[in-house]
Amino acid sequence: MEKKRDSKILGWLLSIVLSMKQEFKHIFRDEAVVIFFVVLAVVYPPLYSLIYNPEIARDQAVVVVDDSHSELSRQFVRDLNASPDVNITAYAQNMDEARELMATKKCYGIVYFPADFETEVMRGNQGHVSLYCDMSVMMRYKAMLTAITNVQMETCSRLQGEKSFNIISMNGGLVDSRQVPLGNTAMGIASAVLPFILVYVLQQGMIMGIAMLHAGSMGRRRRNRGIDRLDEVKATPGAMLMGKTLVHLFYYLFPAIFALHIVPIIFKFPMNGNFLEIAMIIFPFLIASSLFGQIIRVFVNNREGVFLILAFTSLIFVFLTGVSWPHYQIAPYWDVISKMIPAYWASTAYVQMQVGGASLSQMSDFYWALWSLVVVYFVIAYLVELLVLRPRYRAMQLECELDPEALNKHTLFLQGDDDMLNPELLEEEDED
Amino acid sequence: MIRILVNSIIRGWKQLARRPLYICMMVIVPLVSAWFFFDLMEDGVVRRSPVGIVDLDKSDMSRRLTRNLSALQQIEIKTTYGSYQEAIDAVQRGEVFGFFFIPNDFSTKALSGEKPTLSFYINYSFYAPASMQFKGFKTISVLANGGIVSSVLTTAGMPKEMVSATLQPIVTHVHPLKNPWMSYNYYLSSSFVPCLLALIVMLITVFSIGMEWHAGTSRNWLRTADNSIVLATFTKLFPHSFIFINVGLAIQYMMYVKYGFPLNCNPWNMIAAMALLVLACQGFALFVISLVPNFRYASTICTLLGMLSFSFCGFSLPEEVMYSWISPLGYLMPIKYFFLINADQALNGIDLHYSRLYYVILILYSLLPVTMLWKLRKHCLEPFYIP
Repeated sequence: MEKKRDSKILGWLLSIVLSMKQEFKHIFRDEAVVIFFVVLAVVYPPLYSLIYNPEIARDQAVVVVDDSHSELSRQFVRDLNASPDVNITAYAQNMDEARELMATKKCYGIVYFPADFETEVMRGNQGHVSLYCDMSVMMRYKAMLTAITNVQMETCSRLQGEKSFNIISMNGGLVDSRQVPLGNTAMGIASAVLPFILVYVLQQGMIMGIAMLHAGSMGRRRRNRGIDRLDEVKATPGAMLMGKTLVHLFYYLFPAIFALHIVPIIFKFPMNGNFLEIAMIIFPFLIASSLFGQIIRVFVNNREGVFLILAFTSLIFVFLTGVSWPHYQIAPYWDVISKMIPAYWASTAYVQMQVGGASLSQMSDFYWALWSLVVVYFVIAYLVELLVLRPRYRAMQLECELDPEALNKHTLFLQGDDDMLNPELLEEEDED
Repeated sequence: MIRILVNSIIRGWKQLARRPLYICMMVIVPLVSAWFFFDLMEDGVVRRSPVGIVDLDKSDMSRRLTRNLSALQQIEIKTTYGSYQEAIDAVQRGEVFGFFFIPNDFSTKALSGEKPTLSFYINYSFYAPASMQFKGFKTISVLANGGIVSSVLTTAGMPKEMVSATLQPIVTHVHPLKNPWMSYNYYLSSSFVPCLLALIVMLITVFSIGMEWHAGTSRNWLRTADNSIVLATFTKLFPHSFIFINVGLAIQYMMYVKYGFPLNCNPWNMIAAMALLVLACQGFALFVISLVPNFRYASTICTLLGMLSFSFCGFSLPEEVMYSWISPLGYLMPIKYFFLINADQALNGIDLHYSRLYYVILILYSLLPVTMLWKLRKHCLEPFYIP
C-alpha cells in the first residue's frame, strides 16, 4: 500500500517536471512569446519613460493684450516671462488678433490688461487681469495658472510693501504654511505614473505570452486533426498548471527585476523600498498573473487575436488602478472589477513601497489579497482546463475522426469561402 | 461585373457574421469601453481627497483651524492621528493621501507674533489626489493669513473694499475656455475613447487581411473579386467601415448627448471627423500590412504605434514639451489630426477654416494604401504563413 501511494506521488511529481520541461521548450521555440515575455518588459518601460521624462509643461506660449500701456502691466508681463512655466511670445493689438493667434496655435493662452489696470491700483482699488486658456490639454492650463498666480502674489506683496501697512510688512502674515511632498518628492508626473505602468506591463506581457502559447497549440490542433504533437505530456490539470506556472515564474525573474529595479535606477525614480520585501509582493503577483493568463487563454484561438485583447484590456486595467482618476472616487462596481486584477494590488503595493517607503507589514492586506487571488485563480484555471479546454480538444479530435477535413472546412466556412466547401457538408455546418 | 461586386461584398459580410471575434471587437468592446470611460469619470472633477490631521497643540486656536480646514472643498479630513509617526504610517498604508501637522507650540507662537509653521504633507505618488490637495493647501495659506489680517484691519476701522484692495491689489480672473467646469471627463475621454477606437480599427483591419493568409484563403479572396486587389480590399473593408462609423457615431451620441461633452460646432463637423478617422485608420493599417506583408509584424507595428499614440500624440503631456524627436511621431498617426479637430471644433468652436488641413490629411490617409496595394496583391497570390 505504502509503495503504491509513493509511486503515485512520484508519478505526480514527475508529471509536474515533464510539464515544466515541455513549457520551457514551447516558450524557447516561440519567438513571439519571447517578445511578450522578455522584450516587452525590457523595451516598453524605457520607451514610456522617455516620452514622459520631461515631466512638467514649461514655457507655454502666451500672448499679451495690454490696453493699459502702463509701467505696472509691463512689469507684470516681464515677471510672467521670467517664470519657467510661461513664455510670452507676442503682444497683440487687441483681443481679436490674440484669438486669431490662438486659433492658429501660435499660443495657448492670452493675458489681458484692461485700460484702467494701473489707475485702479493707484487709486487704492483692485486692478484686474484676465487669463484665457486653451483647455485641450490640461497640463497647459495648469502651467499657465501656476505662473500667473505666482506673479500676482509677488506683485501684491510688492505693492503692499510700498504702501507699508505695518501689520503686514512687519509680520508678512501671522502663520507660515509649508508643503512637504512625500514619496515622489520631485512631484513629477513620470515618477508618479510610471511605477504603476511598470507593474502592468509585466502582467500584460505574461497574460499575452500565455494566450499566444495556447493559440499556437490550437493552431497545431487545427492543422493536425485536433492533436497537438508538441503536447505529449499526460499530466493531470493540477500538475500541468503548477508546472507551467513555475516555468512562467522562472522566465519572469529577469524581466521583473529589470522593470521594477533597474528601470527606476536608470530613470532616477524614487527608490525607498526594500528589495527583498518588494520581491515578496511581486512573487504572488507573478503567480496570480500566470494563472490569470491561463484562464484568459480560453478566449484566444488565434495568435493574432492576442493583440486585440492586449490592446483594450491594458488601457482599461490601468485606468482601474487609479493612476489618472483616483481609486477612491470610482463607482462600487468598477471597484469590484479592479480588485480582481492582480496588477491592481501589486502596483499599488509596489508604489507605496518603492516610492513611499512602506514596509511589507504595512502592505499586509495587499500581500494576502494577492495570495487569495492565487488560490481563486488556481481553482478557476483548474476548472477551465478540466471542463472547457480538455473537452474542447476531445471534440476536435472526434470531429476529425468522423471527417478528417472537418477543421479545414470550418476554417473555410469562417472565411466565407462557401464555394470551396462540399455542399452536403455545408448543410451540416449550418445546423451546428 | 455587378455579380462579382455582390459576391465580394457578401463574402465580406459572411466573414464578419461567422467569426464572433469580429462582432465582439468591433461593436461590443468599443461601446463598453467608451461607456467605461464616461462612467468612470462622470464626476468630472477630482473631489475630496482623504487626508488626516495631527494636532499636537490641542488649543482653541488649533481646533478652530481644524474646523476651517474641514470646510475646504478639496480635502476630506478622515482621521485624527496622535503623532507624526502614526500619520506617516497611515499615508504609507494608503489610508490617507496626506495630512496636516500642527506643532505643539502653534498657539503660543502665534499669540506672541513669532509665526508658527503649519505643515501639509502630501503623498505625490498618487498624482491626481496630490494636485487636489495642493490646491487646498494654497487656499489654506491665504485663509490662515488673510482671514486674520482682514479681521484686524476691519476692526481698525478700514472700509471693506479698502481691506480687500490692501490684501490683494491685483486680482486675476482665469477663464478656462469652453470647459469652465475643468472636467477631466470632457478633457481625457474625448481623446482617449476615439484613440482606443482608432487602435481597434487598425488591428481589425490587419487581422481580417492577415486571416486570409493564415487560413490559406487569400487566392480565393482575390478570385472572388475577379483578381482586382482594389475591389477585393474595398469590398472586404467596406462592411468594416460601415460598422465602425456607426459605432463611432454611437460613441459620439453618448459623449455629446448623454454625457453632455462640449460640442461648440456644427455637429456635422464632428460626424465627418469621426467617419474620416475610421477611414484614415483603415487606410493606415492597410498601408502597413501592404508595406510589411507579414501578419505578425503588421499586428505588432499597429499595436505598438496604437498603444503609444495615447502618449506621444500629446493628449496629456503637451507635444511642445516632449523631446523633439518624439513629438513628430505623433503626427504619424491619424488620431492626432482627429484630436486637433476635436480641440478646434467641438471644444473651442472656432471656424472650420482653421481645421481644414486636418480634414484633408485624414482623407489622404484613407487614400494612402493605394500606393502599396500592388505589393499586397503579390503577396496574396503567393502567400506563406509563418506560424
